[in-house]
Amino acid sequence: MKKRNILAILFFIAVYLAVPMEMSLASAELKTLIYDEAGLLNKEEYNELNVMANEYSAKRETDIIILTSTNDDNIDVMKMTEDFYDEKAPGYDKPNGNTVILTMDMRNRDFYLAGFYKGKEYLDEGRLNKINDKITPDLANGDYRLAFQKYIQTAYKYMGFRPGVNPDNILFNGWFQLAVSLGIGGIIVGTMAYRSGGRVTVNRQTYEDASTSGILERQDTYMRTTTTKRKIEKNNSGGSGGGGGGTTGGGHSHSGSRGSF
Amino acid sequence: MQVIDYKCPNCGSSMVFDSETGMLSCHSCGRKDDIEQFPDPLRENVFSEDEVVEYHCNSCGAIIMTESETSATVCSFCGAAVVLGDRLTGTLAPAKVIPFSISKEKAMDAFQKWCRNGRLTPNGFMTADRIKGITGLYVPFWLFELHNKIEVHGLGTKVRTYRRGDYQYTETQHFDVYRKIDLNYVQVPIDAAEKMNDELMDKLEPFPYDQLKSFKTAYLAGYIAEKYSYNDEELYPRAKEKVSAYINSSIQSAMSGYSTMSYTNKQIDTRLQHADYVLLPVWVVHYDYNKSEHTFAMNGQTGKVVGKPPISMAKVSAWFASITGASFISLKLIALMMGGGLW
Repeated sequence: MKKRNILAILFFIAVYLAVPMEMSLASAELKTLIYDEAGLLNKEEYNELNVMANEYSAKRETDIIILTSTNDDNIDVMKMTEDFYDEKAPGYDKPNGNTVILTMDMRNRDFYLAGFYKGKEYLDEGRLNKINDKITPDLANGDYRLAFQKYIQTAYKYMGFRPGVNPDNILFNGWFQLAVSLGIGGIIVGTMAYRSGGRVTVNRQTYEDASTSGILERQDTYMRTTTTKRKIEKNNSGGSGGGGGGTTGGGHSHSGSRGSF
Repeated sequence: MQVIDYKCPNCGSSMVFDSETGMLSCHSCGRKDDIEQFPDPLRENVFSEDEVVEYHCNSCGAIIMTESETSATVCSFCGAAVVLGDRLTGTLAPAKVIPFSISKEKAMDAFQKWCRNGRLTPNGFMTADRIKGITGLYVPFWLFELHNKIEVHGLGTKVRTYRRGDYQYTETQHFDVYRKIDLNYVQVPIDAAEKMNDELMDKLEPFPYDQLKSFKTAYLAGYIAEKYSYNDEELYPRAKEKVSAYINSSIQSAMSGYSTMSYTNKQIDTRLQHADYVLLPVWVVHYDYNKSEHTFAMNGQTGKVVGKPPISMAKVSAWFASITGASFISLKLIALMMGGGLW
């Protein structure tokens, strides 16, 4: 009885682990992580996103920043990002430290994603391109709040994976893991229930008289050979983003991905 | 109206077949007689099938109550083991018998042990303390000998893939394949009792045929025996069906080594050589659980138990939960090792 209870509890813990945990906000002081100079968000949306960015930034020890600009001076979005990093010197651990930035150039409808230090290590160009692909449709629709929320959540999520692995690997998906586990459990218990009534343990050899049975004649006549060929597809990953990283005027190297909407 | 019983020459008690020693034994004085040397009191009697017959117990004179298939039973008044001789003669005479080697007590123990091992059976069932009855039953079977001559034609392919430059080549070799096979099956058992569940009886196999003995009525003393409800002709289609599965898998293994195989012509000529009428030992256990009766059968030689036990939903859930939980945690650990986070 006792053992069964423990197993049941274990099961519920496992289910609980499958679903990302809801976070409770503990820290009182909020950094400004969203610089909405272009005024894309209303007050409510701004507060909500800023709180969220603070929470996730603390968990990954990397500031997740959003910068929007009307770009009156018409500067390239990548240059704008680099200048912002040099001037404001953001960073979770120290000035000019671990940072991820999404810069929106509302004048040219361009955006740029950059990762610095830990942000660069964990969000390399490939992962930034993935984020780029995720938020582009929402930006094009003008749903900036949703796009920013996705950016914060995805940057946070991807930083939970060791650099170099594919963060979208289905094996890392909690629901996939749960579904596979349920499948395994169902198959094994189903087999146990099916077998509980006894199994047939005779096979074709049981009643075969081996001394008089066997193959009397065999013929394997070769007739012809047919050959088909197929061109091997080269894996050319064509991304909408691109751009890549660089180094700021202040000498901070970063990863990057740019896009337009 | 031939009723055979075995009176002990020493003390006059009713003798029964003893599964431990394989001899006819007397419970009162302990006398044991070798059945092989025993003269069989069966006489050639001709009875018409639907003749109303009444059997009287030789010991007490009471009328023996039987079903029409019963050929051996125990007198319900005095407990004497009786064999109804006329249901075992003529076309109803069994050629061979496998006697019980598991006694009633051992069968009971083995059944209880089997219940305890059930991983999904309810705890109340596992104690096996509600056995309503356990009956040693000689079930009529036909043992078929079937000879099969098989000729198969098929088209087989062997596929090889390789890379050269930017191209993937798939090379398929085609073969015309022919096999001539003899498959002889001996002693394929088919249960001939109407009241026994065919599926249950199929699961009881295999019976150890090295224990087959020439039939003597003394083997039935103290047990229940039945006569067949279906003759060999009626059961021939079932026997054919049973071996056809064996034949198909034999053909498959005879034509192995190809990537694909499609049969263009398959000729199976099955001939019935002969069928022997035999009695095979089965312990039938009736068990009351949760107001419903469950029937189990045990091979009287090997002790194999078959039958559907009740299933405890609580245990099913516990197993399901623990297996699922364990797999889930393993998957999480695998993901962690591959570089993913816990969530």
